[in-house]
Amino acid sequence: MKVKVYAPAFASFQHLDDDSSMKLPEGATLNDVFRRLKIPLPLRPFLVYTVNYEKAGLNTPLNNGDVVSFLTPLAGG
Amino acid sequence: MKGYTGKILFVDLSTGRIVAEPIPDEVYESFLSGVGLGCYVLHKKIPKGADPLGPDNVLGFVSGLLTGTGSVMTGRWMAVAKSPLTGGWGDANCGGTFSPAIKRCGYDGIFFRGTSDRPVYLYVDSHKAELRDATHVWGKDAVEAEDILEEECAKKQGKPKIAVIGTSGEKQSLISGICNDHGRIAARSGLGAVMGSKKLKAVVLAGNGRITCENPELMKTISKEFTGKVRKINIPRFLSGRLLEIAANLQSRMTRVAVPDGIMAAGILKKWGTGFNNVMGVVNGDTPIKNWNGSGLDFGKSRYRNLAPDLLKQREVKRYSCYSCVVGCGGISRIEDIAEGTFRETHTPEYETVSAFGSLLLNGNLDSILYINELLNRAGMDSISAGHAVAFAIECFENGILTSEDTGGLQLAWGNTEAIVKLLKQMIHREGLGDLLADGVKAASRRIGKGSLKYAIHVGGQEPGLHDSRFDPMMGVHYCADPTPGKHTIGCFQYYNYVQLWNEVSWAPKISIYPKYEEYLASSENATKSVAISCYKQVIDGIGGCLFAMTMGVHNWNPFRMLNAATNWHKTADEYLEIGMRIQTLKQLFNIREGIDPRNNRAHPRMAGNPPLENGPLEGKSVPIHEMVALYWEHMGWHGETGIPAKETVEKLSLTDFVA
Repeated sequence: MKVKVYAPAFASFQHLDDDSSMKLPEGATLNDVFRRLKIPLPLRPFLVYTVNYEKAGLNTPLNNGDVVSFLTPLAGG
Repeated sequence: MKGYTGKILFVDLSTGRIVAEPIPDEVYESFLSGVGLGCYVLHKKIPKGADPLGPDNVLGFVSGLLTGTGSVMTGRWMAVAKSPLTGGWGDANCGGTFSPAIKRCGYDGIFFRGTSDRPVYLYVDSHKAELRDATHVWGKDAVEAEDILEEECAKKQGKPKIAVIGTSGEKQSLISGICNDHGRIAARSGLGAVMGSKKLKAVVLAGNGRITCENPELMKTISKEFTGKVRKINIPRFLSGRLLEIAANLQSRMTRVAVPDGIMAAGILKKWGTGFNNVMGVVNGDTPIKNWNGSGLDFGKSRYRNLAPDLLKQREVKRYSCYSCVVGCGGISRIEDIAEGTFRETHTPEYETVSAFGSLLLNGNLDSILYINELLNRAGMDSISAGHAVAFAIECFENGILTSEDTGGLQLAWGNTEAIVKLLKQMIHREGLGDLLADGVKAASRRIGKGSLKYAIHVGGQEPGLHDSRFDPMMGVHYCADPTPGKHTIGCFQYYNYVQLWNEVSWAPKISIYPKYEEYLASSENATKSVAISCYKQVIDGIGGCLFAMTMGVHNWNPFRMLNAATNWHKTADEYLEIGMRIQTLKQLFNIREGIDPRNNRAHPRMAGNPPLENGPLEGKSVPIHEMVALYWEHMGWHGETGIPAKETVEKLSLTDFVA
């Protein structure tokens, strides 16, 4: 399956294609996305993220076509 | 039934004649409403060479095409006129509740020409429009005047909506704006001075007409989809504003840029409003410091942390939203500890104001900024320009160009809160040195002379927004290339990346991740991005859209879908971008007609990093702004060397009638 991932710039983009999509095995969870993005463990509690714009946890199961979004503050105002 | 009324109201203040004029459907299909309709009308009604403060100038209050149609985040109105500050195209916009009130009176826009011989206000409801005496509110500040007129014109169905100038507009300060909703302000371009020159104190709207939409069910579905997402995105309570500072630190070290999902920022706006950037911008380099000549190191952690979003939030007693907004980044805050202050509350100051009177002046006193915010909102003075004017004066004083004799004894210095407040009061009352500064830094430096020009940060006469072009080079392009120079709301790389136009617009370059250094290159791809975002912004300003909704991404907040639902036009995104290009080109043609040479809209050398800063996150950064501007002109179909729209472009956009 494929999920769309809006990853933070400090993540690894190795597993993301040009459409920012990531291929994952069936039954994958958000934790698998974090692992592929190589998000450092100490940072994880401070990140704000959603799956399909809903609050999610690392064990949230993913489905084909899901959207995983990370908060990236816009400079501005 | 297409979301617009098909009519404007035209008021001649010299003769008192008020007429409704029909606007053909083709005009909306070519220019939308808002800034586009404003530009169309002004081009036709203002004679070439008109004095911006004379009777020939035309001042318009225009609603957005989508305002009131059931769409969300589309409640902004646009003020338009020839700008007395820049001598060219002038516009400014504001949220609140005034935009739908224009349409509820049965018009898409209300335009004024001429000059009244005594102070007046225009009253409009669904049945009548009349000029009324405003002598009793002339001399009152914007909030006092609004209170009086609100009471005077209240009807059974509620209070009217009012746009009003404060004392700065009356005194024709060239950095004055037009206020609504008790101190919100359409601040830029000096349009308050145009209103003051016409002796028009206020526009009072009490109509109750229905605003139409071609396909309300579809609009409801689109709005619900967006609203549903925004409601669910929240920042957990335990995450404090310090997180933003840490994120900014990280951001300043990043060597690459990724495409974000802009709607996630809704959580930040809901929690902190635009004040989220107060410290973040200082840390990552977005915020100009010490009149664009310093860094966070000059400001100092202990001072800039006094402006932290969490501290500002502690002052907030109420949150509010503009019309049709589902985010609600506005608020009302308590003012404390200002001995000379008489105000208890103010609108929570926006980031721009906090930075203009904070980092730009090395002022870490939050109370003074809350107080200054209320002073400016009541006077109706643009905080961006006013902050730059004070910074200019401080630097002139520091370098011996101004003396205590010039300042009336004020010892101007960075971070001297008391002197800053006193100087600002001089500006508002147009007394002493303040009289010079009240017309912006360009006019002040011309009158002061003595080499003061090198401390006057402006582009084409207008002071730039508080976003550093050395941090986001495309911001610098639009500070210079936009027909209203100095505006921070037209385009930058961050906006482009957040909006993700490539999802809808066939020619918008697609990106996923790229090295940050590419933003500092004068490249064809960057120019195409600049064209795309600036034309898109014209569409947003044509529909009454909110900048922050725009940055949530076209995949989340889609004005093209909303426009088609409201009008049944079935246009593609490419066609809407062409409308944006038409509006932007018409504004440029207006400037050319008025004798503006676009090549003179040059960034102050500091804005281009010339010389580069020696420390902080922008250390060593310089930007080839004018090469980038020339490429932008070329990609707009304007001459790359002069910025004049090419004949073929004028023909392609069907603007031939507008060229003399």
